Amino acid sequence: MQDDKKQLLGVFDGEESLVQAFRKFKKENVEISDVFTPFPIHEVLENHGKKTRIITVSWFYGFFAAAAVLAFLYYTAVIDWPLNYGGKPSSAFPSFIVVTLILTIFSVTILSLFTFSARARIWPNVGKPVYHEGATDDKFVIMFDAEKVDAEKVKQLLKDLGAIEIVEKLDSETSIV
Amino acid sequence: MYKTEIRGPLILGNKTLGQISEEITSPIYQRPKMWWLVGMGISSILMLLGFWGIYVTIATGIGTWGVNNTVGWGWAIINFVWWIGIGHAGTAFSIFLLILRQEWRSSINRAAEAMTVVAVGCAAIFPALHMGRVWDAFFIFPYPNTRGPLWVNYNSPLFWDFIAITAYLLISASFWFLGMVPDFATIRDTTKSKVKKAVYGFFAMGWRGSVGEWKRYEGLAFVLGGIAAVLVVSVHSIVSTDFAVSVEPGWHTTLFPPYFVVGAIFSGFAMVMTLMVIIRKIYKLHDYITDRHLDNVAKILVFVSLIMGTAYLTEIFIAWYSANEYEMFTFFRNRITGEYTVQFWIMFICNALIPQLMWFKKIRHNIKMVFIISLLINLGMWFERFNIVITSLAKDYLPSAWADYSPTFVEVAVFLGTLGIFSFGVLLFFKYIPMIAIHEVKMVNKLKTDKKK
Repeated sequence: MQDDKKQLLGVFDGEESLVQAFRKFKKENVEISDVFTPFPIHEVLENHGKKTRIITVSWFYGFFAAAAVLAFLYYTAVIDWPLNYGGKPSSAFPSFIVVTLILTIFSVTILSLFTFSARARIWPNVGKPVYHEGATDDKFVIMFDAEKVDAEKVKQLLKDLGAIEIVEKLDSETSIV
Repeated sequence: MYKTEIRGPLILGNKTLGQISEEITSPIYQRPKMWWLVGMGISSILMLLGFWGIYVTIATGIGTWGVNNTVGWGWAIINFVWWIGIGHAGTAFSIFLLILRQEWRSSINRAAEAMTVVAVGCAAIFPALHMGRVWDAFFIFPYPNTRGPLWVNYNSPLFWDFIAITAYLLISASFWFLGMVPDFATIRDTTKSKVKKAVYGFFAMGWRGSVGEWKRYEGLAFVLGGIAAVLVVSVHSIVSTDFAVSVEPGWHTTLFPPYFVVGAIFSGFAMVMTLMVIIRKIYKLHDYITDRHLDNVAKILVFVSLIMGTAYLTEIFIAWYSANEYEMFTFFRNRITGEYTVQFWIMFICNALIPQLMWFKKIRHNIKMVFIISLLINLGMWFERFNIVITSLAKDYLPSAWADYSPTFVEVAVFLGTLGIFSFGVLLFFKYIPMIAIHEVKMVNKLKTDKKK
């Protein structure tokens, strides 16, 4: 841990109350550093401000993979070692389509998976702090950087919004997964 | 937007989120039950038998099989196509129903995907063995080599097949695994056992459910879903071209790609039905896999069965309409009335006629009937492949080249072995992996509770 930050956590027991709290903090312009939920909540995902370009990137992967596969097929079947299969043309584009399609899909899958793994930091023993164990079960956790926000005000707001638990935690106090 | 009010809740029993995690993960914490151990035992015996068959095939050669010059494709190819067909259900379930926004799929897709991965693995055994010298299987990769350099023939459907199945196995496995990552995290965070925490924590790969993770997860699921939908359709189309580009009577038809794809989805959904009825009964998951879920699968089966019937009739009609004597012979003399009449009628009755019973609500809601029908469909689909592979090959153009085919014990052993591998894999899945996608069910459960407020 390079810097031991103090985090302020507000724990809710329902999606409704979390979304309500999320809206409120957005309106009050309090910076929310992260939200942990057991399932994706689209309102939070769309308005939190984090962006993902994985779909665009995948499109480019597909584009370049298709070009690369076609080029490979052309090189091997036409330039490097053309073989005569029953007098058929070496450059048989229609029958290259199938291989190109499948290998493009294959490449997009592999590359997108690795992109996801790298960008979302998902790999075995990655070493991320788990702030609240319930966030993958039935709790909805909203997290603030305790030094960046007005901690007292946020705590009061959380209490008013019906948080079932308000915790302050140092990064070093969390369990690492 | 959601029609849950009209059609009733997707998840019964007014569950809290904690309850959902607990109930779905409970089999992981229970000691293995007697039926599970017995099942594993039987599967292991079948697997051993299968490994013996594989050993004999590799050590002695394809001569231990019943195939001959005329009928070059025997049980191996029948079983290959059958397993690949069953392996289409998972992706069809996840992807098509995702695209169609069918929320009810979320209770079933995990099991369907697990089944897919195991079934495709079973399928891949057969073409590998059928190559004869399986230790030279790497010849099929296009790589610079010292034999020429001789690249592979890209015009050959057999090469397409190899690529398609490899890609399909990999993509369905990664799609399946991706969906499990948040659920593994749930187990990691709720379990009290240190070993489980370490093992599931390893596979959860640091998942915490943060905004960045969910957002990218959804993006990736969208991408993989979109391209896998293309793959579902293309894989079995490619398998069908193995047959359709040849000039055998009964194979050389343009009907084959859609006919095979529909057949694959048909047998896959039937296998899903079989499995769901079992899971539901054994693990008492009636609240998650409700009668409505099974009813929906049954409705799909009825519809797909109609398409199958249409495909059979189209084949027969075109055989007559083309006035090609060899096609006429294959369909009317060989299949409908001749030597293979039993197999043909088992296929036709099990696939096209019996599932029509499920038009009746009474039968759709009778789980025993539905279960039996789903088994019969799988039987019928096996005979469909038998019909396609054997009847066309055994009697084609020259009567002097006609030959009979019957499988040897080695071939049967390999098939039983794959059945063993399948049930072994599925039983492991029952025990060690959440059978229902926990986070997806939580999301669907929410839809209902929100409506009430």
